[in-house]
Amino acid sequence: MIKCHSETIRTPLCDAVLAITSDTNAGIYMRENTFGHLNLRGNPTDKAFLSSIETVLALNLPLIPCSSVRSDVFSVYWLGPSDWLLMVPIGTESQVAADLRDSLMGQHSAVVDISSAQALVNLSGVKLPELLQKAIVYDCDPTHLPVGKVVQTTFAKTGVTLCRCEDGSIDLIICRSFSDYFTLWLRDASAEYGLAVVDACLSRPKVSAQT
Amino acid sequence: MSQPNRLSVGGRIDRSKPIEFSFNKRSYEGYAGDTLASALLANGVNLVGRSFKYSRPRGIMGHGAEEANALMQLGQGAVTVPNPKATQVELYSGMVATSTNGWPSVEFDLMAWLGKLGGPFMPPGFYYKTFMFPQAWWLRYEKFIRKAAGFGHISQQPDPDIYDKLNHYCDVMVIGAGPAGISAALEAGRNGKRVILADEQCELGGSLLASQQNINGASASDWLGTAVTELASMANVVLLSRTTVFGYYDHNFLAALEQRTDHLGPTAVKGTRQRLHRIRAKAVVLATGAIERPLVFGNNDLPGVMLAQSVSAYINRYAVVPGERALIMTSNDSGYQAALDIQSAGRTVVAVVDCRYHAEGRLAQMARAAGIEVITGHGVIEACGSHSVTGAVIAPLDQAGDQITGAQRSVSCDLIAMAGGWSPVVHLSCHTGSRPVWDEQLIGFVPGPNVQQQYCAGAVVGHYTLAHALSGGAAVGAEAAGAKVPEIHFDCGDETEAQAQALFLIPHSKSVSRAPKQFVDFQNDVTAAGIELAIREGYESIEHIKRYTAMGFGTDQGKTANVNGVAIAAKALHQSIQATGTTIFRPAYTPVTFGALAGRDVGSLFDPARYTATHQWHVAQGAKFENVGQWKRPWYFPKAGETMQQTLNRECLAVRNSVGIMDASTLGKIDIQGTDAREFLNRIYTNDWSNLKPGKCRYGLMLKEDGMVFDDGVTTCLSENHFLMTTTTGGAAEVLAWLELWQQTEWPELEVYFTSVTDHWVTYSLVGPNSRKVLEQLCNDVDLSAEAFKFMDYKAGTVAGIPARICRISFTGELSFEVNVPANQGHFVWQQIIAAGEAYDITPYGTESMHILRAEKGYIIVGQDTDGSLTPQDCGMDWIVSKTKAFSFIGQRSLHRSDTARSDRKQLVGLKPKDPAAIIPEGSQIVMDPNQQIPMDMVGHVTSSYWSVCLDHGIAMGTVKAGFSRMGETVYCPLVDGRTLAAEICSPVFYDPNGERHHD
Amino acid sequence: MLQIYCPYCQELREETEFSYSGEAHIARPLEPQQLTDAQWADYLFFRTNPRGIHHEMWYHASGCRRYFNATRNTQTYEIYETYPLGQQPALTCDIGGKR
Repeated sequence: MIKCHSETIRTPLCDAVLAITSDTNAGIYMRENTFGHLNLRGNPTDKAFLSSIETVLALNLPLIPCSSVRSDVFSVYWLGPSDWLLMVPIGTESQVAADLRDSLMGQHSAVVDISSAQALVNLSGVKLPELLQKAIVYDCDPTHLPVGKVVQTTFAKTGVTLCRCEDGSIDLIICRSFSDYFTLWLRDASAEYGLAVVDACLSRPKVSAQT
Repeated sequence: MSQPNRLSVGGRIDRSKPIEFSFNKRSYEGYAGDTLASALLANGVNLVGRSFKYSRPRGIMGHGAEEANALMQLGQGAVTVPNPKATQVELYSGMVATSTNGWPSVEFDLMAWLGKLGGPFMPPGFYYKTFMFPQAWWLRYEKFIRKAAGFGHISQQPDPDIYDKLNHYCDVMVIGAGPAGISAALEAGRNGKRVILADEQCELGGSLLASQQNINGASASDWLGTAVTELASMANVVLLSRTTVFGYYDHNFLAALEQRTDHLGPTAVKGTRQRLHRIRAKAVVLATGAIERPLVFGNNDLPGVMLAQSVSAYINRYAVVPGERALIMTSNDSGYQAALDIQSAGRTVVAVVDCRYHAEGRLAQMARAAGIEVITGHGVIEACGSHSVTGAVIAPLDQAGDQITGAQRSVSCDLIAMAGGWSPVVHLSCHTGSRPVWDEQLIGFVPGPNVQQQYCAGAVVGHYTLAHALSGGAAVGAEAAGAKVPEIHFDCGDETEAQAQALFLIPHSKSVSRAPKQFVDFQNDVTAAGIELAIREGYESIEHIKRYTAMGFGTDQGKTANVNGVAIAAKALHQSIQATGTTIFRPAYTPVTFGALAGRDVGSLFDPARYTATHQWHVAQGAKFENVGQWKRPWYFPKAGETMQQTLNRECLAVRNSVGIMDASTLGKIDIQGTDAREFLNRIYTNDWSNLKPGKCRYGLMLKEDGMVFDDGVTTCLSENHFLMTTTTGGAAEVLAWLELWQQTEWPELEVYFTSVTDHWVTYSLVGPNSRKVLEQLCNDVDLSAEAFKFMDYKAGTVAGIPARICRISFTGELSFEVNVPANQGHFVWQQIIAAGEAYDITPYGTESMHILRAEKGYIIVGQDTDGSLTPQDCGMDWIVSKTKAFSFIGQRSLHRSDTARSDRKQLVGLKPKDPAAIIPEGSQIVMDPNQQIPMDMVGHVTSSYWSVCLDHGIAMGTVKAGFSRMGETVYCPLVDGRTLAAEICSPVFYDPNGERHHD
Repeated sequence: MLQIYCPYCQELREETEFSYSGEAHIARPLEPQQLTDAQWADYLFFRTNPRGIHHEMWYHASGCRRYFNATRNTQTYEIYETYPLGQQPALTCDIGGKR
């Protein structure tokens, strides 16, 4: 079992039947990273909206399709023309949401806490490219999915949001109720490569701001 | 002597690795690198099967995918493989192969007598004309016909092998690794493009694997080795051998089947047996080659009659000569190569029978110079022998090849090699919808106009010389890569050939219908006579001819039959081949296993199973689960020793008498906010939302534009512009798409956003007279009293210290509170509620009890009681349809159609079984008169039905025509087991009709 | 399997990310109550179903969840263009399109 964070919290992968392993020769490494997740809606052509966001987050919303922006504290993924995913340090989601709503008061916008609805899994390892070819119909070659690009697509028979990290690994966001299916599929597909599950971690790799 | 037909030197087989195998229970030896076909031929075995209809003895005729006769049954038990072609099976140690038909044996087949005697009575289409009467005997005929027909058999056991899939993107997909394909891949690869090169054979090289030519001074074999080494060294090139690209689909999407371990035998398998490659290519290069055509003459299906190029392949690639005394018949220059190869292998060439009047081409001269007799202007009109070729009849032909012009004579031989010309392998281009074009000069069909970003090179476009295949391949490889065509010259020696003759059917001294059978399609036993008969019977379109005769229907898709068939049909119709046209080909090029198509989406991975945050607790309690959409929901929680009914009784009584708890997290939840959220709800629901205040919940009904009930659920007003909509479990995704559809495509001016929060919140229904008492223990910041927290109120607070949303909603008619907390904390909160409820014997219950309890109150379940054909009025829910809303909401206009206004529509009513102990099966049809004749007039069906422990009798809901006006009438449900149950039409609200209990 | 250009994500994606949503450019009547049954049925059920150029809607279900329009040939499945909601197609039967 992936270690749970506190007495009251069980993240989506807690119940997945995955033993923590310390295999250093695995072809695939997997870790669950835990953040608060906020869904953000608003009008990207409205300067007031953009400025309200910038005031709270100290970064500019990504406006280019399928891009992302990061600071030391926050990551923002472009999900659609008026749709973003904001990831915040776990435990701060309520406060950040409240701050955003205050800043956006009177504007047509929405800030919705979906922290419990999703899990973020980081995959790395020498066999990652082939594994992704088994599960994902999107072209995950680094030339097509470079660092910082965000893609919503399918993973086997469920949905996934992908982002390439600076170290070449891939962050995958999966829906809570599909996490068991996801881990079953991942174990099956990586059986020929070896799968090592790293303990869940509250921090995430530090990367610089990107647009 | 073992392997009498094996040459002692040469070939690409490895004589240091002998392989034992068995065929039809006899043991033989072959070598690594053999196919089953080459190994059988090496051992002098050529009778390998019986034909489909006439059960005629058949042998190996080709050396690849074009093989029509040598279908095998490989292996035994769960891993048996039906109908692989022996020419495509790589030999492995311990292989067990058998013929697929022939009883009691291939050598002596009883069915053959039926074929001989009954042959004249089994022309094409005979199945349409016979076995018709009497109709009642059809099943008897069918059993016999099934046993008599067909080839291999499948295992009835589960497939033990593993298959998977890989998705690819590339710049250039090269299909076929013969000289043209290799050349194209080299160019594209050298230009840095992402290239995939696929070939169906175990080794890349195609015709180069048997070629004796030189390329720029190196042997074909050496050139190939160098090329493959270079390709393998390029990181941007993916090489796939044993991989058949079997389908070419829209927008340059291709599917290819890689056989990863079939060649190792079933016991050696580790990992995936086969892999389906799904490829999206920017450009496709078809380098699929050409297949040699047989010539059509009397008894051309005898074992020992083979394609000339195949004979050469067996000699050069496998070091096998399939005969001692060979006769070659050819309509073009390429047949001479087989003659030269046979003679080089030390066997006798009786003669080359060249149908053309003049044979002065380079290869013909070489043959003569080698002492081979060349007979021009003649044809082999008949092969002789009973189970294999023992001789042939030769006769002079006129220049057109239509008639015999003189005396015939017999020669003795045991091998007839036929070279009838070349048919480019156009199949993949046909998959794209392009119709092949007849090329008069090439005497073959070539790919038609490109539909997609596609290039062709090599024999598939009639570039039959090696030099042209290599240079053509390089050119298209560069073009496909968007690069300049390189200036490379390929020197392969003199490859000039004289003009071929367009000849397909060799005339016989007897007429076509009387001559010994002249086979066009070997696998389906279609003869020239059969085609002419089809035309006489009026089937003049080539599409009809194909279907009437079954030409091209087999697992070989008529690869050696199609062009001959078209040509013969054209002649019989007195029109050109161009005018006759050709049938085209669908995927798959060669057969594909179901396993490969399924991949890993089997067993527990067949469909995602979705779980709630509390699932492990349910499992630990021994809950039984049912599938609701993709979710696993607790169905009931049996205690030790309980039957299901006992469990349900206990659960329902506990809920109505004390307190129960149910995990309702699977219901869809959609966050809706914006200044126009309320207006939007008014447009999408049937009822009015204008004055629903913050802190209040309301049940909503949603229709499709046709007025039919689509989904329902309680929607809560969290604040003035903020709502939480719930949907049915199964409808969640569809409803969200529905909301987005209307907002985006029809009402973009409405300011409203939708966000799915189904997975973010857990929902626990705490239900029963003691529910408040349980919740009070966990909730100290919300006044839960009846005065403060009214029915259909919503309040935010904490439960067990966790921020929560609490709604007083009831689906059971009892006092109940729905607790929503973020799912990460759901499991914790659930456990606290259970602990707090112990004093009240809190009872977890599942979907079955939930169904019973709501049915007692007459609440519908959308998707169970409704099926998309019921309006709200049909469901007795006219009360929820607003008559005053300004906007014509979705579905409203349809409620006033003449059809929806009928009074005899099916209406949802309660049904009380006359026998109180009876439970009418759900789905039972309802009739008014149980004694009427069958087929009965069915007036509705039972949608929900349960035993009600609280009421001590069975209850049900169902649709009945004009049900509302039939209260008190008796209806009947005839059951499958012969019984008929009677029921009285009544109100569906069986329990607490005034709704007093949930208002406490 | 089709490959479709999502005008919002601005790249080509596989058909499995999308779901088809019927004929495009059908506006819901503003006054349904004023229509006869026949007129309402026409809006509800009848579609042009042409052989050749067809304007239709697609939903990027596993992607950005936006609806958009496409001009596709119903015979060859070639997709000539995709364009956002509210815009008109550049290619129609009348403007030099193939039949």
